[in-house]
Amino acid sequence: MERKTIAFYWKIYRRIMIQDIKSKMSYRADFIISTFGMVATNIAGFISFWILFQNFPSVNGWGYYEMLFLYGFSLISITPVQCLFDNNWSLRINVYSGDFIKYCFRPINLFFYYQSEIFDVKGLGQLFFGIGTLIYAWYKLSLPVTLLAVCKTVVFLTTASLIMISMQNAAAATCFWIQNSFFVLDLAFRFKDYAKYPMTIFSPVFRFIFTFLIPIAFIAYYPSLVILRPGEVPLLSWLSPFIGCLFFWLSYKLWMFGAMNYSGTGS
Amino acid sequence: MEPVIKIRDLTKEFKVLNHREGLKGSMMDLFSRDYKTVRAVDHISMDVEEGEIVGYLGPNGAGKSTTIKMMTGVLQPSSGEILVGGTIPYKNRSRNAQGIGVVFGQRSQLWWALPLIESFRLLKDIYQIPDEKYNEMLELYQSLVNIKPLLHKPVRQMSLGQRTLSDILAAFLHDPKIVYLDEPTIGLDVSMKSKIRTLIQALNEKKHTTVILTTHDMGDVDALCRRIVIIDHGKLLYDDDISNLKTLFGSYRTLKIRTGGDLASKAREIEKMFPEFAVKDDEEWISVLVDEERAKVMKVLHELEETMTIKDMQLEEIATEDVIRKIYERK
Amino acid sequence: MKTLNLKKYLTLTRMGIIESLQFRIGTFVMIIGNLLYLTLVYFLWKAIFASSGTDRVNGMTFYDTLVYLVLATALYGFMEMYTVWEIGRNIQSGKIVLDLLKPIKYKSYLFWSYSGELLRNFICVFLPTFLVVCIVTHGAVPLGINLLFFIVSVIMGVIISYNIDYIVGTICLFTESIWGINIMRQVIVLLLSGATIPIAFFPEPFKSAVFFLPFQAVYNTPLMILLDPAPSLQTTGRMLALQLIWCLVMTVVSNLFWRVSLRQITVNGG
Repeated sequence: MERKTIAFYWKIYRRIMIQDIKSKMSYRADFIISTFGMVATNIAGFISFWILFQNFPSVNGWGYYEMLFLYGFSLISITPVQCLFDNNWSLRINVYSGDFIKYCFRPINLFFYYQSEIFDVKGLGQLFFGIGTLIYAWYKLSLPVTLLAVCKTVVFLTTASLIMISMQNAAAATCFWIQNSFFVLDLAFRFKDYAKYPMTIFSPVFRFIFTFLIPIAFIAYYPSLVILRPGEVPLLSWLSPFIGCLFFWLSYKLWMFGAMNYSGTGS
Repeated sequence: MEPVIKIRDLTKEFKVLNHREGLKGSMMDLFSRDYKTVRAVDHISMDVEEGEIVGYLGPNGAGKSTTIKMMTGVLQPSSGEILVGGTIPYKNRSRNAQGIGVVFGQRSQLWWALPLIESFRLLKDIYQIPDEKYNEMLELYQSLVNIKPLLHKPVRQMSLGQRTLSDILAAFLHDPKIVYLDEPTIGLDVSMKSKIRTLIQALNEKKHTTVILTTHDMGDVDALCRRIVIIDHGKLLYDDDISNLKTLFGSYRTLKIRTGGDLASKAREIEKMFPEFAVKDDEEWISVLVDEERAKVMKVLHELEETMTIKDMQLEEIATEDVIRKIYERK
Repeated sequence: MKTLNLKKYLTLTRMGIIESLQFRIGTFVMIIGNLLYLTLVYFLWKAIFASSGTDRVNGMTFYDTLVYLVLATALYGFMEMYTVWEIGRNIQSGKIVLDLLKPIKYKSYLFWSYSGELLRNFICVFLPTFLVVCIVTHGAVPLGINLLFFIVSVIMGVIISYNIDYIVGTICLFTESIWGINIMRQVIVLLLSGATIPIAFFPEPFKSAVFFLPFQAVYNTPLMILLDPAPSLQTTGRMLALQLIWCLVMTVVSNLFWRVSLRQITVNGG
């Protein structure tokens, strides 16, 4: 049998996504409440940010609008994990109840098949919020608007989003080995809150940890430097697209390894 | 002809954690863990021919689902050999998956929120079923069961029976060589059970699909399987035609008669006439368990008729369920 | 009869402890996670204070802020019961129907099932953090009668927090997905209770508004009682009284909301 192509997977994903959105829309109460929840979450996040800057004019040499840029950037780059990889949150339950086995019998990639089941529309609200914030900060900082800058932003945002996805994948995958992996997932998700601060506030040891071990520095800080401070871009910023891909690949391998390992324990 | 499934000395071992008991025990588990090895499947060998319906039976925890998982390629065997359609399932999981269908009675594999037809269309894409084959299959389904009213219903709104039916149809949709059915009739009412059995039978005949059926319902076995395989504690206990099963413990039949007068004293009388057979009595019937290898039922009945008036009689075959229970309990 | 009832509940507590201890790695991860989180808090606020140029902002030094936030995080780590997830899951799987048939009120059943975890979290998360803070800071936490008030206040905090969770959990009766709602609850409670940024930093109209909401009674009130360098019986009493009122109000509201929602759902045949 021929290898399955990206076009094949895209066709399946699109079909599931359209159907899923259709069925979500038909549950109006759910859609409204969830969308409201998403908006409220973002507003609360923004208020925390705003309160901090009511008291302190700058943090470590980073002004209000620069911090706002980082904030917007981090919001956008954590959107894909919420829209496309939401089923990671149910992985633990599926594994615990033994339902996970039912995903193992299809002749397509297990990871894809599992993640494709859910498409979370609500995350899109956050995307618009993030884009708004980013554009506002961009304007206030009077950064140049060139095609190159926009392209850079898109590429760096896309790859930055892979970091959060990798962390959630890896955290969700722990459920294949430990029982109450919910804490791990919740913890990994909480780290996103710290992605919006400049790495320079941390001591070298922690800067190392957050760069190479728990790579939250690549969610917003390193990629943003390329746009924000083009004069002093460190090598790590240029490397961040590759690091995003690398971590995604590693987390995917871990997830698949766990899934194969899991089926090994009888139900 | 080459068998579709070929299993030789298949063995699977698991390491399981010994949980200690009570509050103190779980404190100790926190610091040290104690594992033991369990052999879930123990040197099983069998062949399954194309088009067979095999009843795969055994008490809970006997190792049935472990075997099925190895056949489907989800699990890698600890030792032994397994070939499904000529390939090793766990090494070619994706290829193997293309040629099989799986149904779990309690876990729907359909997309919960989608109408059935959308699930079918997705499966069509996933299994890359050509249009004409897909349409042919839908027509076949329509001729076997009336699926039209189900097609536009989201799976979550279906009753358990409708869901199971849909799951079975979905499993056969890509015309797989082998379909694994794990307790397909669990929790269903009598009429739905028979509907599903008829459907499985028909699909097996029309498509010549091999079916491996695990179940605890002997009704399924009686209705569908010519051959049964029984395992317990991971070991193969029985692998033969279902008709031979009944002779496994001798060919017993129960003769039930009703006579005039006091049943209890008549029963005592019969006991004296046939000391080799067990005789029981209740308020309605006297039951004689006749071993046909020693005396034919007709002969027994004839002798009885000469000594007493028989008002009514019944003849009962020993039920599959009773034989299976005996096999399980023999250990 | 009364003692028998208590025994019933304590059995649930005990099972909860046993169950949660079996999640060995979960416990380790939780502790490590909280330590990492606190490290982040430390560096962030250190940088913030370093850039502000003054020692004291809104009457709080870096030191005060840190002690407050560390203890708030520890309180959060201990009070966060993840009951909303449980309710949501039970509703989705339909298990809720079985739970409703149990001879214990669902709300109590859930609470006492989780009480073992609560106790474990208190011992594994809050107590060690509290002791470390006491020892490291020598004296930032006044040790006296305020400890007793603090415990009373924490208990009420738990009750209010549980009621908030229960209200959010009830919303799950109407929704399919639990995740969005839960994140919203987490973020809003953390913000408005002062667990992310001490309420002292809130700008004015906002600060007063927050005091009219139940959230600050969850983390802020116990911490104010604990950390007040010059406590007076009057202010402590007033805070506790306010908390008690919130306890009652939230209990009544959550019970009522649950009952109304349940009726609505059963009428609609959900």
